[in-house]
Amino acid sequence: MKNKIVTTIFLISMSVSVFASHTGGNVYVDVNGLVCDFCATALEKVFGKQEAVDSVKVDLDKKAISIHFNEGQKLDDEAITQLITDSGYNVRGIRYDK
Amino acid sequence: MRLLLCTILGIGLIIPGLSQARPVSYPEGWTLMLMNDGSKNSSHVHYSPSAKTSLGYKFEHWRDKSFKLHAIQMNNLLKRWNKPNSQANLYLKSGIGIATGNAGAFDNERSTAGFTGIATDWENRRYFISYENRYTEANKMGDFFSQSARVGWAPYEGDYGDLHTWLMLQVEHTPEAEKNLTVMPLVRLFKDVHLFEAGVSNHGKVSFNYIFRY
Repeated sequence: MKNKIVTTIFLISMSVSVFASHTGGNVYVDVNGLVCDFCATALEKVFGKQEAVDSVKVDLDKKAISIHFNEGQKLDDEAITQLITDSGYNVRGIRYDK
Repeated sequence: MRLLLCTILGIGLIIPGLSQARPVSYPEGWTLMLMNDGSKNSSHVHYSPSAKTSLGYKFEHWRDKSFKLHAIQMNNLLKRWNKPNSQANLYLKSGIGIATGNAGAFDNERSTAGFTGIATDWENRRYFISYENRYTEANKMGDFFSQSARVGWAPYEGDYGDLHTWLMLQVEHTPEAEKNLTVMPLVRLFKDVHLFEAGVSNHGKVSFNYIFRY
């Protein structure tokens, strides 16, 4: 029983630690409709206005953007998806730094 | 900055040409479009409160019809199809304003005027196709319909920030015009927020367009 409690606490602390590592790190977002520089500029401008965002890089070849957050800050998947939708595009997938 | 914009606006009003480009920007984005062709010069400044609507001022000088149009223009993105490797759009573009005659029978005359039409496009990073039409009503100064289609091909795929080059062919049809069919090959150069186009039509008219999004 003691072992189970210790294991559970360990696993919880590990998951909290992984979650925390998303703040101040990179998020990669695959975007549908990302075909030209005007699209890229749109996403750069929209995410650039977010306080949590340090920088945004657009990769037209991969049809993806990478978002680097300020230390201790982040946007959750829902907020990222909403910003992409508001910009006129669709999210295909969201990946985090391992 | 203001001087630069005024200079660009001035150049755009002098040099003839034509253009088709996305009429709605990203939320809170501004766009300056200087579009010219063998029959008119135009400039359009618009603001997009959202990615689905833009509102702006449109000026057109129809040289062959001898009138100028000052209008408030609204563009609506009716539908966008975002795919992993392509994008397609359907827009409604409409404007209402005042036409002023600047020669002939309607010199110094004024009348209300308006226009409406649809525009649609599909593109990936290699190919581009678009179509748009418009009906213009300027009361006693006339009414007319025009439509145009364009195909484009990019010889290479550049990444964001690179210089993008497109080779395009545009066909424009204005049924009531004396030369009602205009065919024009043109080159589009696109980098960051700047888009330039230049071409020469089958009627020997040189075109030049510029779009700046900020």
